[in-house]
Amino acid sequence: MLEIIDLAKRYGNVVALDGATFTARPGRIVGFLGPNGAGKTTTMRCIFGLARPDHGEVRWAGRPVDRVTRLRFGYMPEQRGLYPRMRVGEQLSYFGQQHGLSGKAADAAGRGWLERLGLADREKSKLEELSHGNQQRIQLATALVHEPELLVLDEPFSGLDPLGTATMTEVVRERAAAGVGVLFSSHQLDLVEDVCEDVVIIARGRIVASGPIDELKAASGRRHLDIEVAGTDGAWIGSRPDVQVLEHSGGRMKLLVDDRVPLDELLTAARTAGELRQFSYQPPRLSELFMEAVAEPAPEPEEARP
Amino acid sequence: MSRARSIWLVARREVFERGRSRGFIFSVLFTTVIIIASFIIPALIIGDQAATRIGVVEPAPDGIETAITATAELLDQEVEIVTYPDREAGATALADEQVEALVVVPGNLSNAGELLFREEADPTIQGIVSSAIAGLRVNAVLGEAGVDPTALAGAQAPPTVRAIEPPEEGAEAQFLIANITAVLILVGVFSFGFTVLTGVVEEKQSRVVEVVLSTVLPRDLLMGKVLGIGVLGLVQLGVFVIAGLIAASLTQEFQLPPTTSGAAVQLVLWFSLGYTLYSTALGVLGALASRMEEASNASTPVTMVAMASYFVAIFAVLSDPSGVVAVIATFVPFSAPMVVPMRAALGAITPVEIAVSVAITVATIWVLFVVGGRVYSGAALQTAGRMRLRDAWRSAGE
Repeated sequence: MLEIIDLAKRYGNVVALDGATFTARPGRIVGFLGPNGAGKTTTMRCIFGLARPDHGEVRWAGRPVDRVTRLRFGYMPEQRGLYPRMRVGEQLSYFGQQHGLSGKAADAAGRGWLERLGLADREKSKLEELSHGNQQRIQLATALVHEPELLVLDEPFSGLDPLGTATMTEVVRERAAAGVGVLFSSHQLDLVEDVCEDVVIIARGRIVASGPIDELKAASGRRHLDIEVAGTDGAWIGSRPDVQVLEHSGGRMKLLVDDRVPLDELLTAARTAGELRQFSYQPPRLSELFMEAVAEPAPEPEEARP
Repeated sequence: MSRARSIWLVARREVFERGRSRGFIFSVLFTTVIIIASFIIPALIIGDQAATRIGVVEPAPDGIETAITATAELLDQEVEIVTYPDREAGATALADEQVEALVVVPGNLSNAGELLFREEADPTIQGIVSSAIAGLRVNAVLGEAGVDPTALAGAQAPPTVRAIEPPEEGAEAQFLIANITAVLILVGVFSFGFTVLTGVVEEKQSRVVEVVLSTVLPRDLLMGKVLGIGVLGLVQLGVFVIAGLIAASLTQEFQLPPTTSGAAVQLVLWFSLGYTLYSTALGVLGALASRMEEASNASTPVTMVAMASYFVAIFAVLSDPSGVVAVIATFVPFSAPMVVPMRAALGAITPVEIAVSVAITVATIWVLFVVGGRVYSGAALQTAGRMRLRDAWRSAGE
């Protein structure tokens, strides 16, 4: 298990991390969310020793992470980059060996990934001769060539076409199924909702929400209620403190309600008002949880409710 | 995995990636050809000039060939005599450029005869042939008058020739080797030091440095890079030295002094030390920059120090290899790589001085690696603008 414990980091007067704490479990895909500048990249750099935290530590399997532990991690930085003039096969082998594989094992692993990604015929090509999308694939293979136990991907989906996104999703899921812990940051919240089981939301250097997406949704006090009552103007709902009308056209209404709203009461009122066509009660979407969590001033997301 | 293996992998990548690049191979081959040519071409030109062919028309007076050859020898000229049965055959040969000049003198030396050239008279040949003929004629006249031939020969003996300040054996060659050594070290340190600088900046520009540093420690990356590129530098230096020595011994124009092998050892030693010292400094400065232009600006102080050291070596040390300046420069780590091998080539340094100088330089390199490694780790991920040395040092702080 990866444990991020009370990380703090300042760059001059800029506070990048201000006591961030969370965990990422093996076999789980964790989406690491936060606005730009919230501290995602700094956290990832701290995991790889690329930034030295002023305070706090990173632990793996209960022990502080050091250079040798990191050899079992795979990293794909936000700023993509490999050696442009180095051959693809040799490049993968080089990074495999730098992670501790023998020359032969690294060659074989590199070839395996090239086949897997449909680039077996490009083994001898220089990286710069590949298309942008294929360079991205090689970048992913570089992070995976040594079969890491923890995969840290900084914005892995940015700049990918739908095909690339599909490959990335497939690989990430497959690795997690194999027991690998995956931590990735993204701004594409719908994608995160689709791919991840857990999320960690960071804002202003602090973790403002974390846990399984379903639990976070369940714990949220917001619900969506879509109602359609034919032949009414919606006045039947009246004015309630626990109901907020988001959209209203004729008999159709989109409502944002408190999760303790008396549904039976509303249902009865709707039926009384006219012919009920739709009555759907849903948890909030991840993007709403996100907006709520990162809103200023920092709310205490779960403890805020009594 | 050990750090040593990590450094080794970085170094090996540099050797393979750069060593098989067309640029490197072409530059080594091209320079080798130039080195060999610079020995062989002068030898060929000198060889062509060596023997001047002079034609002599029969019947010629006895002893004219010996007289011309002997006179030429006094003037440090080599001539080859070709005889022709008659004037017509000789003139044809002269016109066909088979000989440079044609001598037509009556066999009985009744007159001084003729000396024919193709287009214009060559004063050297003219001098040689004129004095040879004059000598023969004087001998003939005096012989007829009954002068003793032995006394005559004695009277014509040249004076004893002697230089009062003869140069030491091979001094000229030593001087040449000292100069070549300094140039090879300066050029090697510059070209391979700048390869390190460029390599560091390229890794930052292509952003690959973040992936690399997620497994390799910054100091190890710098060290591996310096080592790998240094191996290429040594290979190139070795090729140049061996090509030069072979070309020199083939042409035999250049007598290698006995200090040559010692000078070669010093050259390799001080190339290694000088390269490591300067390239580490350049690598650290490269890490502070994020673009090539910034890197070359940042490298200016190092370039100036290297150039200054070279000028100290060729002006102060070459003229007075045991003087105060030379001794001081021996113990300054940045000038030692050029000054020490030069003094060694001139045979003007003691083993103790060399040992102390090596120790000082190695210690300086070690300090550079420690300081540079930390600055490198503080600056390697900085991708906007040029970072200040102090900020990089602080940013990597504990």
